[in-house]
Amino acid sequence: MMSAGQVEIAGYGIVSPIGRDLDAFDHSLFDHKSAIQSETMTLSGQDTFSVALARADLNTENYLTPSKLFADRATALALESVEQALRHSGLDLSAIESERLGVFWGSGMAGASSFDQTTRAIYSEHKRIRPTSVISSMPSTPASEIALRLKAQGACLTYANACASSGVAIGEGMKAIRSGDIDVAVVGGSESMLSPGLLAAWNALRVMVAIKKDVMGCLTPFDRQRGGFAMGEGAAALILVSPEIYQRLGFFQKIRVCISGYAHNSDGHHITNPNPVSQARVMSLCLKNAGLNPQDIGYINAHGTGTLLGDASEAKAIVEVFGQNTTWVGSTKALHGHLLGASGAVELIAGLRALTLNQLPANSIDADVDPNLQLRVINEKGLALPDFSHVMSNSFAFGGTNACLIISKKNEFQNA
Amino acid sequence: MTPDTFSIISTILEKSFHTPEQMIKHNTPLSDLGLDSLTLMEFVFAVEDKFGLRIPEEKLDPRQVGITLINLCNVIDEIRENHSPAH
Repeated sequence: MMSAGQVEIAGYGIVSPIGRDLDAFDHSLFDHKSAIQSETMTLSGQDTFSVALARADLNTENYLTPSKLFADRATALALESVEQALRHSGLDLSAIESERLGVFWGSGMAGASSFDQTTRAIYSEHKRIRPTSVISSMPSTPASEIALRLKAQGACLTYANACASSGVAIGEGMKAIRSGDIDVAVVGGSESMLSPGLLAAWNALRVMVAIKKDVMGCLTPFDRQRGGFAMGEGAAALILVSPEIYQRLGFFQKIRVCISGYAHNSDGHHITNPNPVSQARVMSLCLKNAGLNPQDIGYINAHGTGTLLGDASEAKAIVEVFGQNTTWVGSTKALHGHLLGASGAVELIAGLRALTLNQLPANSIDADVDPNLQLRVINEKGLALPDFSHVMSNSFAFGGTNACLIISKKNEFQNA
Repeated sequence: MTPDTFSIISTILEKSFHTPEQMIKHNTPLSDLGLDSLTLMEFVFAVEDKFGLRIPEEKLDPRQVGITLINLCNVIDEIRENHSPAH
């Protein structure tokens, strides 16, 4: 099969609950260290409730954006991840034509924390509204502030497709380079919905893991007892460049990894219930886009939210495409929680680190993996896999948007 | 102007707006603080909140050219004076 064309990853950065830089992230990811904890929320007019969540260790109070405005936390986390990605890539921005530089950013509800704060000021605290509350609440502000920071004039697009947002953003940035519209794309996603009002809203939806009498339910994806997810926050950014620019600017990463496949589709089925048929189709389309066969994939970084329905649907789709108990499968959400719109970007970094370090992050350690799912789940720490070249990463969203990405080790990729 | 007023405003600029200390002088125009029009609105908002007062535009329009930090301090002192319990 022919690939639709690869796009180089020149560098990347991450701010997550399990590490505010790559080194810390690696340590927690491969040592299976979770940042999830329980917090109790008391809000006027609401029942007191406890939630499982994972906060990113970065103080963003009074964080000023490039336009010197107070940042919503999702914007601040986004900007931090981009700074890291720039350093990691060594990209000289002055060597890029600003019209050929674009930003493609994903977030389910960036700005929602600021909006929550504004409504609290109006209705609860009876305080004045800050003059720039509209700006900080706009879902497109992270992308705009990144574009301002980079002086990017090629594109500045925001994708809000719930939990598939950053998967879509990364893929669309890749497509813009493939099509020749731009040379460099800064892509990724950010999310922060850990403010009290937003947590109350999520808690009311009953998809997060239950905490009963101070005992947290099972957070392990694909476990027989799985009971839902914890809410995470964070951001991840990648610098994508065309192969020509990669050569011309002399990028050099020790392990050269590219994005080789991208596909998205829609369930057209239900606002929250997943559709395994569409999920299988998006994985097949992504393989075709990359010019690969199922057996080429060494590791599937699953969406794996740990909900009963979600994991069962994804497992059915994986078995449909890959067969029973074949390719290694894992979700890293038991460590950093569900980063919603940022999950695709953060989990692609997990895949990148796996490819770079020839090691698979554990889904769980000695968990009671649900045998009905018929998946080869990574249920141990430190699983070395020296011979693999391709990782698939899934992002499936409320609303029915499915996104799938494949990253490949360049030196072993045959379809260039 | 009371030294106290200037000191409080300096702290807001340094802590919340990351303004370098050397830029914060009595005669520094607001337009030279490195804040654009939106941020200037946030700065005045923060000052008003800190002192618990409102600065009417007819007393001081921060967008007007040449308004300095000392002008801002004097307006604050005047409003505080007029609203103090002694009056």
